[in-house]
Amino acid sequence: MAKDKLLLEMQGVSKHFPGVRALHDITFDVRAGEVHGLVGENGAGKSTLMGVASGALQATEGTVRIDGTVMSADPEYARELGLAIVRQEPALMPDLSVAENLYLGLPQSRRPSLSGLNDWARKLLQHWSKDVSIDPRDHITTLNPEQRFIVEIVKALECEPKVLVLDEPTEHLTSADVQRLFDRVRAVTARGAAVVYISHRIREVQAIADRLTVLRDGEGQGTFNARELEEDQIVSLIVGGNLDQTFPEKAGEGQRRTVLAARDFSGPGFSNVTLEVKAGEILGLAGIDANGQREFMRALAGIYRGRGHLTLDGKDIQINSSQAASALSISYLPGDRHREGIFPDLSVRENFSIRSPRADTRLGFVSAASELRRTADAIRQFAVKTPSGETPIRSLSGGNQQKVVLSSVLAMRPKVLLVDEPTQGVDVGARAEIYKVIREAARSGMAVILVSSDQQEVAGLSDHVAIFSRGRVVEMLTGDRVTEDNITASVLKSTEQRDKHHKELGAFWKWAAGNVAPLVMVGTAIILLGAIAGMWNPFYLSPRSLSNIMMLSATLAMVAYGQQFLMLVSGIDLAVGPTMGLVQIVASFFLIKDAGIGLHGMGWVLVLATAMAVGLINWMLVEGLRLHPMVATLATYMSVQAVSLFLRPVPAGPIDPGLLDLLNMKVGIVPVTFIAAVLMALVMEYFLFRRSLGISMRGLGSRQEAARTAGIRPVMVRLIAYVGCSVFAGFAAVTMFAQVGIGDPRAGLGYTLGSIAAVVIGGASLFGGRGSFIGALLGAIFISQVNSVTVFLRLTQEWQQYLLGFLILASVALYSKSREKVVQA
Amino acid sequence: MTSKSKSAAGNSLSAQLKAAVLNEFSWIWGGTIVLFVVCAFVTPGVVEPSAISSMLPFAAVLGITAVGMTIVIQQRGLDMSLPGIMTISGLAFAQIGFSTGSSLLAVPLTLIFAMAIGIVNGLLVAKVNITPIVTTLATNAILMGGVRAISGGSPMTAPAELAQFSHSKLFGVPMTLILALLFIIVVSLVTKRTIAGRRFVAVGANPAAATAAGIPILRYQVATYAIAAICFAVAGMLFTGFIGSASQTAGVDYLLPAIAAVVVGGTPFTGGRGSVIASGVAALFMTLLGQMVLALGADTSVQLLVQSAVIIVAVAIRQLPAILRHFR
Repeated sequence: MAKDKLLLEMQGVSKHFPGVRALHDITFDVRAGEVHGLVGENGAGKSTLMGVASGALQATEGTVRIDGTVMSADPEYARELGLAIVRQEPALMPDLSVAENLYLGLPQSRRPSLSGLNDWARKLLQHWSKDVSIDPRDHITTLNPEQRFIVEIVKALECEPKVLVLDEPTEHLTSADVQRLFDRVRAVTARGAAVVYISHRIREVQAIADRLTVLRDGEGQGTFNARELEEDQIVSLIVGGNLDQTFPEKAGEGQRRTVLAARDFSGPGFSNVTLEVKAGEILGLAGIDANGQREFMRALAGIYRGRGHLTLDGKDIQINSSQAASALSISYLPGDRHREGIFPDLSVRENFSIRSPRADTRLGFVSAASELRRTADAIRQFAVKTPSGETPIRSLSGGNQQKVVLSSVLAMRPKVLLVDEPTQGVDVGARAEIYKVIREAARSGMAVILVSSDQQEVAGLSDHVAIFSRGRVVEMLTGDRVTEDNITASVLKSTEQRDKHHKELGAFWKWAAGNVAPLVMVGTAIILLGAIAGMWNPFYLSPRSLSNIMMLSATLAMVAYGQQFLMLVSGIDLAVGPTMGLVQIVASFFLIKDAGIGLHGMGWVLVLATAMAVGLINWMLVEGLRLHPMVATLATYMSVQAVSLFLRPVPAGPIDPGLLDLLNMKVGIVPVTFIAAVLMALVMEYFLFRRSLGISMRGLGSRQEAARTAGIRPVMVRLIAYVGCSVFAGFAAVTMFAQVGIGDPRAGLGYTLGSIAAVVIGGASLFGGRGSFIGALLGAIFISQVNSVTVFLRLTQEWQQYLLGFLILASVALYSKSREKVVQA
Repeated sequence: MTSKSKSAAGNSLSAQLKAAVLNEFSWIWGGTIVLFVVCAFVTPGVVEPSAISSMLPFAAVLGITAVGMTIVIQQRGLDMSLPGIMTISGLAFAQIGFSTGSSLLAVPLTLIFAMAIGIVNGLLVAKVNITPIVTTLATNAILMGGVRAISGGSPMTAPAELAQFSHSKLFGVPMTLILALLFIIVVSLVTKRTIAGRRFVAVGANPAAATAAGIPILRYQVATYAIAAICFAVAGMLFTGFIGSASQTAGVDYLLPAIAAVVVGGTPFTGGRGSVIASGVAALFMTLLGQMVLALGADTSVQLLVQSAVIIVAVAIRQLPAILRHFR
């Protein structure tokens, strides 16, 4: 490849979001064989620019070319053209193994055969580092952020992209891994590809980049040869004149009383922090993300647990919960507005009044008039642009949402105001207003603590600034020294890397959270229960009793496979029971004695068609009409049952005894239906873990967005799942002929709950992504066993239900606890 | 300035009025009125006073169960233990009533018992993190075991006082209906007009934001299941009194209709928003619809078909704007 060939060209690119101009007329190009650094503060537009380049975002104006070809806003197309992006938040599917994630992350042509998947993945990981600590069989949930990032980089490198985009790649890496990353980056450019390196660590960019481009507030500040610029020159380019933002006047000198003081305060991510904040002042906390400043603030808000000494107005206090914090008049404006700040579906009024309901209560009841008045006042005072107070807050722009949350937090009239990223996703106009509000709050006597990754904001607002690094306060800036340059310099120049940190896990919990544990546990339970029952009553182990249990298990297992199939993609089918009944009724009209081959043939076709039709209807209700799966299948539950009752108001229509004999056949003591169920489980399990479709299904259930970027089409996969589920219910109905033998509209009803119980005991997650057909089989055997064992143990019949209920609770509680424990924060 | 603020408040008042009258929960009122009119023409027998007064108790029992189901769905849950709680409460009441000889004692004891079951449900969901549907399926199995143990598989006669109470009327209005209205009004007033209710809605809408706002979410989640259990228990006792015996299957036929009433009433499965009043009206709607279909000479199968069609239509109507926007 020619050395100065342009692999990525962006010309005149602008991107506008509602109310925000994120990028303005940017021209950016990347040559073959170079590392191109892209630097700028948070919110400068780096990630947006790369979002446009990778096709995830549609540019408002301008063109993007990858290797000479004009791009459209299509991530799949960008990937085909040879652009790979490694994001700060890896796009991995949490319930899949490392190896499976690597597999799905590659374009189809580059995927290896699935038989040696783990070895292949291990080799890839070893390319990264010989002593890599990642086991390809581990679930992504059990990896820490550093390991997840390595998986993401390995995945991107394996695509052999022409343009590799690394977005803040060293945030989670240890220094040894940073060196490895640099080696790999150089290897990529050596083969003639290009690397875009996004970072706010200037020294790193200087060390690796050939050229660098600076962005500020969505505008390009020029492209430079990296060797020609000094660190300070880069800092001033990044910070710029920055005269476009006006901040309110600061508190100035004066005697003030201390409101909140922390001494040797430690918690998750920060240690031995000693800080105090005075009434009327704003204390800024700065540092690179995840260095403890935000964690410290969240501990003060009562969301994390901190240890150490805290005083409020001179009195010792303890903050054990967010409720305790708000009772102490400490109020918190969360940084993650969507997750923790707003109640999206509720109105502006409800979002405003929720933090200070007491202001509106008269004799214990919320006064509508008072609430309306306060809301209207807040809307006016904070200049919130909203059609009315009754508008759902989710339909407002980011800045207006933030103003509502801020007004709500201030309405608590706190002593201490904790503010986390007050202007994230807020346009420039609204920013100035928010700054004024925060300063006014301080002036009215509140003590304010501010966390922000925007250094300009910290400098402009704060009276004092504490610089955090690796969980400790490393520097305090006060008075005239609170300038953006000083903050940026001390934050950016820190080259400290983090230590390797990995939550230590008990081996048992790790095992219990794996895929195999449910199988081993349920299998053991089956054997134990069988042994106990056999010792108590030898008849339990008689061929007749065992055959009977296996027969019942086969039916339950097959319908459970269907439920499991659907649950993998986070669906649920309440209609499987009635579907079984309907299939049986259809059969009772055609599969009858002396009906002849024609009628029998038609009967089998109709049996299959009936099952598939139910699945198709379910899918259309969920996908087309956007019904919740539970509501959709509840509706089909009723209508399928209606059709059954219409066709056979009372049980009638004996099924061909010849067919029943066939279904009742046994090999030794093992019924053929049971053999079929076991074979099905094995085949399906093979598909689930060793075939592309199965892995895709689990990926989709695990995280839809990540699956989509891996090229999976959710609508089609869900169609397969819904139809597949009903078809399995149809198989189950066929095995049920042998037990019922007649067209009975109520015969299948119990199987809806039975099938859910079986898969849940087998280790499936209702949220999708996790499950096993062998687990479902074992769950079904276990339930059938519990149902019959009570008779042999001479227990009264209610014990069937007691055992079933307690066993479901015990197994699910164990799975839920173990999976919670292994998740790395 | 003052005139401006007045007009702002005026705007909001009219906006609030508009939001209160025209929203996804108002459809069911229109639907119910239309259904009454249609019945008057098609099956006049159904809307005769005598027919209505014999139908209302059933609508009332369904309405009370729907209130409980609504608040659980507002917390992003689903309570499948309705049949178990409803049935065992009827039996427990009969049992305690006969063994102590005092219905006055049996009522609070039964309610305390039901509340305890609800608290267990709530703790399993909120504290042990078991999905609501699985938790309540399991507790329902255990409760149905209990039902069998208490009843021995056959119905028990209801204490006479309870039967009398269930059939009694106050100023010509059936007692069951009065109780149902009481439940609906109280729960609605509490969720809309008290601090606890506002917080309850917030916890359902976004638990993480509720935590950040200083709301103790565990308490609200557990209380939700406890109150739902009380609703189911009251419905169970009333039903027992009304049919004169505590059957071992009383609640089984109420699970799907209760969920259906909530869905038709318009409470979404996404949490937070919801209306017990709409659920109550939907309970009346579904019961009346059933009566109409019966009067038309159709059997159970057509009834079910009509009910499921109503569910789909009710949800689809509210989704229509979003779906149209999607295709435009």
